[in-house]
Amino acid sequence: MPVRVVVRTFSELCITVGALIVLFVAYVLFWTGVKADSAMDHQIDTLQNQWSKGSVAVEQPRPGPSPSQSESQSDNPSPAQDQEQGQPQTPTPYKDGKPFAVMYIPRLGFTWNKPVLQGTGVDILKKGLGHYAGTAQLGQKGNFSVAGHRRTYGDPFKDFPKLRPGDAVVLTDGTTWFTYRIDTKPYKTLPSDVAVIDPVPRKSGYKEPGRYLTLTTCEPEWGHSHRLIVWAHLDATQPAEAGKPEALRR
Amino acid sequence: MYGWIWRHLPGNTWIRVLISLLLVLVVVYVLFQYVFPWAEPLLPFNDVTVNN
Repeated sequence: MPVRVVVRTFSELCITVGALIVLFVAYVLFWTGVKADSAMDHQIDTLQNQWSKGSVAVEQPRPGPSPSQSESQSDNPSPAQDQEQGQPQTPTPYKDGKPFAVMYIPRLGFTWNKPVLQGTGVDILKKGLGHYAGTAQLGQKGNFSVAGHRRTYGDPFKDFPKLRPGDAVVLTDGTTWFTYRIDTKPYKTLPSDVAVIDPVPRKSGYKEPGRYLTLTTCEPEWGHSHRLIVWAHLDATQPAEAGKPEALRR
Repeated sequence: MYGWIWRHLPGNTWIRVLISLLLVLVVVYVLFQYVFPWAEPLLPFNDVTVNN
C-alpha cells in the first residue's frame, strides 16, 4: 500500500510540474504579447491624446512641406521653446517612463508602430521601446538610442536581422516627423559594449558628430549572450502638418 | 493529492466537477497574475540593452 501511495503521489507531481511548464510557456509566448499589445496601444493613445490637445497647434510652420536636410533644421521636441535660432538647444527632458514618440519601421511591417518611452527599465520595455536615458533626444545632435524586445512582450524587434542599409526608421513626436536611414547591417556585439550608443559610435563608421540613431536588441533570438545593433543617421525632417513622410506612404 | 482533494469536496459528482474547475481557474489566475510575472524576468529575454 505505501508503495502505491508513493508511486501515485510521484505521478501526480510529475503531471503537475508538466502542466506548470506548459502554462508558463503559454504565458511567455502568448500572454506577454497580449499584455504588451494592449499596453503599447494604451501608450500610443496617451500620446495621441496629448498631441491632439494643442501641442501641435503651437508649433510654428516649417519652411515648406518637402523633406529638408537635417543640417538646416533645429528640431526641438518642446513646442514652447521652439525657436529657429534659439539659444543652444535645451529641450525639455523626457519624463522617465513616459511615452514621447512613436516609431515606424516599414521593413518590419507596414503597420509596425511602437511607442518610445523614456528609460530602459524592465517595466518600461514591457510597454514599448525604451530610450536610453543620457543619450541624445529625438532629432538632436548626438545618438538617439533605443532598445526593444526581440522576443516576448509583443516581439517588437523580432525581424531585427532583416534590417538593411537604406531602410527608413521614422519617428514622430507629435510636431515633427524624423526620418532616419539605416547605414549598417545588424552588428553583433557583447552586452558590455556600451560604446555602441556613444554620440559617435566607433564601430558604425561615422567619423564626425551628427544626428544618429541606434537600435539595440538581444541576440540570439531567445538568448542574452549578445546584442544586435543598427545605426542610422537623420535623413530628413518635416512638420507633422505636412502629413506622413515619403517612407511611410505606399 | 488530487484524490484527497476530490474526496474532501462537498456535494455530488457534478458539484465536485464544478468546484474542481473553479479551483483550476483560480490556480491559473494566481499563476498568470502573480507567479509568472515574478518568474519571467529570471529568463534571459529581458536583456536587450547594452550596459555595464
